[in-house]
Amino acid sequence: MQKVGVIGTGNFGLALANLLSINREVLIYARREEIAEKINTTREHKGQVISEKVVAISDFEEITRECKLIFPIVPSSNFKEMLVQLSPFLTPEHILIHGTKGLHIESDINEVEELHRTEVLTMSELILKETSVVRVGCIAGPNLAKELSDKQIGGTVVASRYNDVITEGKKALHSSIFRVYGSNEVMGVEIASVLKNYIAIAAGMLEGLGYGDNSKALLITRGMAEMIFFGKAFGAGEKAFMGLAGIGDLMATCNSKLSRNFRVGYFLAQGKKADEILADLNEVAEGIKTIKVVHLLRHYRFNSPLADALHKVIYEDWDIEKGLSYVMNLPVSDDTDFFNTND
Amino acid sequence: MSNRKSIEKPLPSVVENMEEWPIYVTYKNKEEFLHKVKKHVLKHSSWLNKEPDTLRNELKNILYQEKIRLTKTPWKSDDPKEKLFWSGIKKQIRNQKPIENRGDTQEVDQAILNEILDYYTDKMVANFKPSTFRFAQKALPFVYSRLINSFPRILSKIFSSVDKLYDRMKITGDIDHIRKLQEMGTVVVVPTHYSNLDSPTIGLSLNNLGLSAFTYGAGINLFTIKTLSKFMHNLGAYKVDRRRKHRLYIETLKAYSTVALTENVNSLFYPGGSRSKTGKLEEKLKLGLLGTVIDAQRINLVENGGKKIFIIPVTLNYHYVLEAKKLIESHLKNMGKENYLEDENTNSFGLIKRTYKVITSNPGMTVSFAPAMDVFGNRVDENGESFCKIGNKVQVADYFKLNGKIERNVQRDSQYTQILGDRILEEFRENTVVLSSNLVAFVAFQIIRKRFSQFSVFEILSLPKDETTIAELEFKIVMERIKDRLIQLDKENKILLSEDIDLNPKELMTAGIQKVGSSHPKYVLRIKKGEISTQSMKLLYYYHNKLTGYGLEEYV
Repeated sequence: MQKVGVIGTGNFGLALANLLSINREVLIYARREEIAEKINTTREHKGQVISEKVVAISDFEEITRECKLIFPIVPSSNFKEMLVQLSPFLTPEHILIHGTKGLHIESDINEVEELHRTEVLTMSELILKETSVVRVGCIAGPNLAKELSDKQIGGTVVASRYNDVITEGKKALHSSIFRVYGSNEVMGVEIASVLKNYIAIAAGMLEGLGYGDNSKALLITRGMAEMIFFGKAFGAGEKAFMGLAGIGDLMATCNSKLSRNFRVGYFLAQGKKADEILADLNEVAEGIKTIKVVHLLRHYRFNSPLADALHKVIYEDWDIEKGLSYVMNLPVSDDTDFFNTND
Repeated sequence: MSNRKSIEKPLPSVVENMEEWPIYVTYKNKEEFLHKVKKHVLKHSSWLNKEPDTLRNELKNILYQEKIRLTKTPWKSDDPKEKLFWSGIKKQIRNQKPIENRGDTQEVDQAILNEILDYYTDKMVANFKPSTFRFAQKALPFVYSRLINSFPRILSKIFSSVDKLYDRMKITGDIDHIRKLQEMGTVVVVPTHYSNLDSPTIGLSLNNLGLSAFTYGAGINLFTIKTLSKFMHNLGAYKVDRRRKHRLYIETLKAYSTVALTENVNSLFYPGGSRSKTGKLEEKLKLGLLGTVIDAQRINLVENGGKKIFIIPVTLNYHYVLEAKKLIESHLKNMGKENYLEDENTNSFGLIKRTYKVITSNPGMTVSFAPAMDVFGNRVDENGESFCKIGNKVQVADYFKLNGKIERNVQRDSQYTQILGDRILEEFRENTVVLSSNLVAFVAFQIIRKRFSQFSVFEILSLPKDETTIAELEFKIVMERIKDRLIQLDKENKILLSEDIDLNPKELMTAGIQKVGSSHPKYVLRIKKGEISTQSMKLLYYYHNKLTGYGLEEYV
């Protein structure tokens, strides 16, 4: 049986490689050769024990030659650069299922006053743009890397316009500890997995401020509504938001101190500044960038009270309590308004 | 990669001996061809191979739908013996015992199915006669040019008129490349569709390129006059009955196209389905028949040594479309609803009359061939090799491979068809040729629209004449701005410009106004005493629509 590839040795990449190794032999790409060597010799990286069936390499040509099914798990800020290097070795025979929960922005978000849809690409759109690969998918869901690496039971969704991408993803990843569901709603799944990051920041803030479960349930429910409003403006359907990548991932990240985004919110509520927190985390918290991106897209007139409030707190130095009060004093609409709006 | 040029005269055939043309070989061995078509239907229609009662119910459904068609939408072109055929089928189905009581029921049902398939394919199949083709080759340019030259004064002028044909009918594209591709694989031409004149226009253009003849589906409503019907039949036209919508017929039609392609027969589809009612470029394609190129390419890779299929979008650009009024009114009234009665009236005699009328009064047309692509929308080079959008060389086989094997997958291929459709639309846009008439119509309508920016399109279309008059100076200023933008778009390869766009403002304006919809009873645009006016806002809207979608509105 053919080997499966993973690109990226972050926490999620490593956890995914371990899960894949239940069914297949896995090649994992590490940008730095010494990391690859460390993984192969010590069978350990970033606190995770690496399966014997996972071999680390630092050669794009080799991974594309050996594997026709590849999972790129690279932060959104490095995704394009990775694709440009990988692209010469990719063919339409390859299937790419990415696990990156972020957006690629063609402009510098610190320089522009607004963004247009054409400047904002999901990772699967970026793959289609930068490579000759057509069979593209994404993987998303309540997949906190730490729990995956502890071999706790869990599940995910593989989304693609192509049923064979879903089938191949399932065959490679589904096991007795990890259930893999399929979906054709790629855009919805990608948007959900991106937007839940800032909802998790808000959840961390509530926790940091000492609010309880009722408050968080309100946040999660309205957070999902906000994700759907945005998704619709982007051309997504609403179904994916009800699945593992939507409500599933929201419940996990908004309730877990393992989530980087949650921790960012939590520490902000404790009075720390965003820059310091990010420096301490030494990891990417996609949610901070997403808040800015949503803010720059607001001229598309979707309903995004949580992103608006978070933008005021993080980028405009508002006090968190003031941001919270801003959201709580907005007019209310129907409970399930996200089902029947085209606005 | 592209080396666009115009044809000055008809080029010699790439393959001289017509008896070597795949269309000839295929239709000569008609029985073998139809056998393959039927085999394809039976093999790939998964719904046929399910439970016994699925087939029985399907047969009943077919019978019901055929009965409805015969009673509710009968056409002159219908076979008089058809009723008899379906009565026979009805009897056979009625005489069948219930499924649970007979073991051989499925076999009998299968026999009925085969009978229907025989009937469909027999009615559908085209023919190709070199003698008819040779006659058409000689007669068509003559008739065409004779007609274009409206008032030939003396006989000698008539004979010289063939040479002048190309003054009126420009054929442009990377002609050498297309001819070379014909030697390497199968050519599929996909034109835009504005008028019933499109088929003779494209037929003549393809012949002038020296390509082997094309097979194409023609609505059965065009087969009403016996002589013309036979003529079309012998030139490779297979009959398509658009009233038949049940899946067996659709699958038979698709199988027909797929098998013809795998037999290397050049094919032509109008991917927009029907004529553009608004005058706009196609915005959405009907992907049914188009999808057969994907399946055929896969079959070629497995069975025919990988012979490649090349897709060539073509834009047809007219100053004048005879049916414009009817089309735009139908659009405004029905907002795109299909109207079979109208099509029924468009019989072959009507087509001759219309063609005559259009050509005798036509101020010209441009047929623009876009660069060739493979079935996935990748550009191909002079050797037929595919290159994806980022310039990487790609193999078409790779698109069909899963775990190293080439496989059939209907769901995947429907996505590929979508990709191809999007690429065709892109090529349509980029290979549209802006004629002076398009430019002036766009300018005039947009000036009026801006003047009444709070009005809906419907309100604008019913404005009184004195509200729609434009001063020549205002017109020229806007026209120059739009022209500058068009030149920019042309430089960015996003549109093509005809030569008359180079004229100075006065000449350009005059030429465009003279040519736009030149033979409608009401004038589309007229210039008099420094004022430009229209007698038909609907027609102006129709001709203006050609340039919508390029973001030119903001330059008005």
